[in-house]
Amino acid sequence: MNVTLAVKQYISKMIENSGPGMKVLLMDKETTSIVSVVYTQSEILQKEVYLFERIDSQSRDNMKHLKAICFLRPTKENVENLIQELRRPKYSVYFIYFSNVISKSEIKALAEADEQEVVAEVQEFYGDFIAVNPHLFSLNLSGVARGRSWEPTLLPRTTQGLTSVLLALKKCPMIRYQLSSDMAKRLGESVKQIITKEYELFDFRKTEVPPLLLIMDRSDDAITPLLNQWTYQAMVHELLGLNNNRIDLSRVPGISKELKEVVLSAENDEFYANNLYLNFGEIGTNIKNLMEDFQKKKPKEQQKLESISDMKAFVDNYPQFKKMSGTVSKHVTVVGELSRLVSERHLMEVSEVEQELACQNDHSSASQNVRRLLQNPRVSELDAVRLVMLYALRYERHSSSILPSLMEELNRKGVSERHRRMVTSMVEYGGKRVRGSDLINPQDAVAITKQFFKGLKGVENVYTQHAPLLQETLDQLIKGRLKDSQFPYLGPSSLRDRPQDIIVFVIGGATYEEALAVYNLNRTMPGVRIVLGGTTIHNTKSFLEEVTLTAGAGQAERVQRAGGHPNRR
Amino acid sequence: MASSYPPPFEGTGEVKEGFLCPLCLKDLQSFYQLQEHYEEEHSGDDRHVRGQLKSLVQKAKKAKDKLLKRDGEDKPETGSYESFYYGGVDPYMWEPQELGATRNHMDFFKKHRAARIDHYVIEVNKLIIRLEKVRTLAQTTADNHKLFSVVAWVSDTDVPFCPDCGNKFNLRNRRHHCRLCGSIMCRKCMEFVPLPLAYKLTSGTREARSVTGSQSQSPPTGGGGNVSGMGSRRGSISSLSSVTSMLEEKDDERIRCCLHCMDTLMKRQQKLEEKDHVPDIVKLYERLRLCMDKVDERAPEYIRMAESLNAGETTYNLDTAGGLRMEVQKYYELIDALSKKILTLGMKEEPQPHQKTLQLQRMVRYTATLFVQEKLLGLMSLPTKDKYEDLKEKRKQEQEKRLTQERLVAQKRRQDSEKNRPAASTNGEAPQAPRAPRMTKAGGWLPSSDTLHTCGELEDPLLQQIDNIQSFLRQAKAAQRHDEVAMLEENLRQLQDEYDQQQTSLAIALSQRLAQEESLQQDELQRLEDRERGEREHRAQSQAPGSQATYTWQGSLNLTDTGSLHGEEEGEEEVTPKAESSPLSMRAFPALTDQDEESPPRLRRLGGDVTPPGGEGQNSSSLNPFEEEDSTPVEDPSNPFFEEIQKEHKEVANGKKEYNPFEQEEGGEEEQGQAEGATGNPFEVKEENNEGNPFKEASGCTPPGASTNPFEGEDEEAMPDVDVIEEDLLLQQIDNIRAYIFDAKLNGRLDEVELLSENLRELQRTLQEQKSKTH
Repeated sequence: MNVTLAVKQYISKMIENSGPGMKVLLMDKETTSIVSVVYTQSEILQKEVYLFERIDSQSRDNMKHLKAICFLRPTKENVENLIQELRRPKYSVYFIYFSNVISKSEIKALAEADEQEVVAEVQEFYGDFIAVNPHLFSLNLSGVARGRSWEPTLLPRTTQGLTSVLLALKKCPMIRYQLSSDMAKRLGESVKQIITKEYELFDFRKTEVPPLLLIMDRSDDAITPLLNQWTYQAMVHELLGLNNNRIDLSRVPGISKELKEVVLSAENDEFYANNLYLNFGEIGTNIKNLMEDFQKKKPKEQQKLESISDMKAFVDNYPQFKKMSGTVSKHVTVVGELSRLVSERHLMEVSEVEQELACQNDHSSASQNVRRLLQNPRVSELDAVRLVMLYALRYERHSSSILPSLMEELNRKGVSERHRRMVTSMVEYGGKRVRGSDLINPQDAVAITKQFFKGLKGVENVYTQHAPLLQETLDQLIKGRLKDSQFPYLGPSSLRDRPQDIIVFVIGGATYEEALAVYNLNRTMPGVRIVLGGTTIHNTKSFLEEVTLTAGAGQAERVQRAGGHPNRR
Repeated sequence: MASSYPPPFEGTGEVKEGFLCPLCLKDLQSFYQLQEHYEEEHSGDDRHVRGQLKSLVQKAKKAKDKLLKRDGEDKPETGSYESFYYGGVDPYMWEPQELGATRNHMDFFKKHRAARIDHYVIEVNKLIIRLEKVRTLAQTTADNHKLFSVVAWVSDTDVPFCPDCGNKFNLRNRRHHCRLCGSIMCRKCMEFVPLPLAYKLTSGTREARSVTGSQSQSPPTGGGGNVSGMGSRRGSISSLSSVTSMLEEKDDERIRCCLHCMDTLMKRQQKLEEKDHVPDIVKLYERLRLCMDKVDERAPEYIRMAESLNAGETTYNLDTAGGLRMEVQKYYELIDALSKKILTLGMKEEPQPHQKTLQLQRMVRYTATLFVQEKLLGLMSLPTKDKYEDLKEKRKQEQEKRLTQERLVAQKRRQDSEKNRPAASTNGEAPQAPRAPRMTKAGGWLPSSDTLHTCGELEDPLLQQIDNIQSFLRQAKAAQRHDEVAMLEENLRQLQDEYDQQQTSLAIALSQRLAQEESLQQDELQRLEDRERGEREHRAQSQAPGSQATYTWQGSLNLTDTGSLHGEEEGEEEVTPKAESSPLSMRAFPALTDQDEESPPRLRRLGGDVTPPGGEGQNSSSLNPFEEEDSTPVEDPSNPFFEEIQKEHKEVANGKKEYNPFEQEEGGEEEQGQAEGATGNPFEVKEENNEGNPFKEASGCTPPGASTNPFEGEDEEAMPDVDVIEEDLLLQQIDNIRAYIFDAKLNGRLDEVELLSENLRELQRTLQEQKSKTH
């Protein structure tokens, strides 16, 4: 069930298949991301892969002493490029791997182009998704919806991505989808269709309890992606933008050259692996410890390594030291930047109000707080808008809603027309009318008491009170209490036992907060393994763009997406 | 994995990653402490716990990896990343999974490619053959119209526009014919094959064709005596063409052809060029990898040695380790040098290499640097001589302390051992494998004395032999002669089997004679033990390092009744002497440490007399292999290369051995010939039947002499023209049929293919017959 490992295994198998010797990896734009998320350059260099090339790149030279490993999505352009490549081969041997199902006719076309017999392997290796964490994948697709239905080109792409996850994990699941979303149903049917069509591929060893694919729609929970985050990974994404586990720090004032873009990968960064789900306060402490540790190991410059034993000790510790110094400077920079942004944008205050909006039920205090923050000149435009959005979603049908006056406030604050229009779009996207679940006001008695008790206990951390809807949904699913009326099965059969292997897919994008929730569920629920996926992984900015694209269906001006988030389409 | 942990430990603050002693649940700070604790406190306890400890240690290690490499002194910390106590499993800890689904399309691909390749190969061959004809014609005649005979030219009237650029033909824009396919193009779209290139391209095919194919190529009137014409051509072509090309720059010195034919020819030329060309970077790179492999092989060995030495153990020789270190470091230097060479490859040449080439070189260099950094800096240093002595001393003291403890335990156990014997021996099987490496270290430190060898009287010659072999084995191991080690081990195994068998039969005989076998063995054992004790005492007195001697004596005392009992008497069934020194004591004493493992008397003696010379030998021999290897990579790549060059020279001198066009084609395209039986066959048949014999004879003689030298086969081929023409027709027919076959195959009419290939075979047979008739 480990998606990172699944992709890694595919890639190392490819490299292994090609035998010893110098190799070049030929990829397309998307597979480049797929590979780079799971492997670092130095890791892959050790496997004798020395060059990374794009199949569509024109600047490649003839290098007959290299073996080429081609890892490509089976798109028309790629096949066409590959045909051209095979007609005039630049490398000695070609090992071709497609990341998804490819048609016979295309293989035939390739075979006929291979006049020089340079192809040694043609296979399908289903690594057609971005494996962000072991339990989290993304397809890097944004703007998947047009109104309430699929953007036509993206349904097949999403289906491909999702089925490749199933194939990579060797799961042939039962499918449940969110009834309130037509898109979820369409996707479910589309996946089912592929499973039926490629039944030979999906013929895996039967497990006692069949795996489950749960398809959800982002519009059911529009609140989660609007909140400020305080755990490391989520916070980095929210404030700096994580793109394929990379952060662009070039806008950070006074950044050194080598830190302009840093990689945050739990696979080979121990500190990150240990801290990605910790909250900001804890990270601060850990960073401090890391620094102290580092100081201890660092050779004291005053001493200048006088004795031989000093030098020996230094050299012995050097690899560790070097690795550590890289880690230290990276994380210190990142955390430093985060805390700068937090204080600059008054994020503590903003977040407190956000959490109150999301979790408490006190209209008057909430409206006061929102108004107060809107009047604060240091609260950024984005934060102001998101507060109003949260208010609008939360108190959509409240009798004494102050939304009009808040909108007025936004106007006065000088928030752009575009952003103000987004508030309406947001309500259209995730308002009560479209929701199928009880995002805000729980209806049944159990949930009400639960909330009541939660209120009594008091909150441990004001900034992290909110738990995403997904957590509750999964909890119910695991306990077998998820209603068929809300999440029906696709097809006649249904699961009798407690589910064991669950793949959750969120159309419209998942968030790192949800990833954390799934991570915690994995850790606390014995015998259950959950993998979360989304068409993309959102922060507020990218989510706003998604909503604009969805609601405006193109007429609204597209939000310029900062931070270079996932490529479109 | 988490479920196996006892629930009470959930969330308790002091528990750190499960470094709990599995027996007394005492919380220990680190893996090392736990191991130590375990060895101290529970060494006598049941074997099975070991396995548990093992798995626990693995878990703990995993968990430790998650920590920031803290050592035991650190305070145990309740990091919230302790992820597996909650009941679920951290996704990072999910058990390994198999490779995801895959689907292979290669068969389908090959099927379609094979059809295509046939087509392509035929195309190329056709072009080459025509090129050869045109080329020879161009040399012999200036008459353009003779070229019609090679390929039918497309009629001018059929082509009003240039098919490539679409321009209209008129008086200014004249039509030109491709000499190779007969098609028409305009001047702009015209290409020329220079004669030298044509010569080069056809050189492979010329010889083959000149034997049989020549009849078809040369016009009937061209030369009644085929042999002489052929011979002269063979000898003088290159000089002739170069001379003529120098003399006059005529249009005829180049062969006019269309874009498409040129393209195909260029592809072929490229292929020919690449076939034998090995770029410098590949040669250097291969050497680089060789060095890296060597390091990967040697470095762990060194680290093991260094660790052992730094711990004050005496299993390895300090000098040996030093030598090995030198060796590994030499390799690193070599890697560094080689990668630097790769980096700067072609930098000085005028047209700078393509940026991608440079990038490749940089990456290789970078990887090598990473490799060196990672591995070299991981090489721990060795203790100095003095320090090593200190370490040794310290360790000895420790060992003695432990030994006294163990003796107490052992004494207790001895009483039980008789009863528990079977159980103990079965339990002992398990640790055999993991402990084995340590066993190999065994004898090294023992005091040297050759006298021991003489007084080490093992009555059985077999045993002596075994001892000898074991000593050789150890020497070989120390000297890194891995292959010899394997051989010796095999030898040893056989001997020990033999010995076991002998012992078994002996035991059977004994049991027949004496009803109370057990007691007798006991007696014998006692005797052995006594003798040995005497021996040891004797030695202890005669030897200087008293402490060591006493120690060894004690070791053997402990074991004689358990270890040797199992090993020598009962061992018939159980001792399956694995590679190195049999883990006899291991069976008896599960948790004993090094000294005890090595204490079976036989081994002891052996270690004593063998190692010291081994140690010296190691020094020199461990350096030697390096020097050898150091030099080999330098020579290796060059040697075969030289040979190749020489071979090439020879070939040239011999008048081109490999001239068969079909053979070459098939060599290049390998599978195609086999995959397509129908087409492959005729090729092969043709080669073998038609050309094989004459060629073999021909190649024996020198080319210049060919025309005059009347060797049977070819001489008789000089036949009346009638026959020649007939063969010509036959060959043409064969060509046609072959083309039909491809066509049929392309369209998937398999039955037709069969029919045609049958036809083809028949034709070839008749051709063959015809030939033999002419002979």
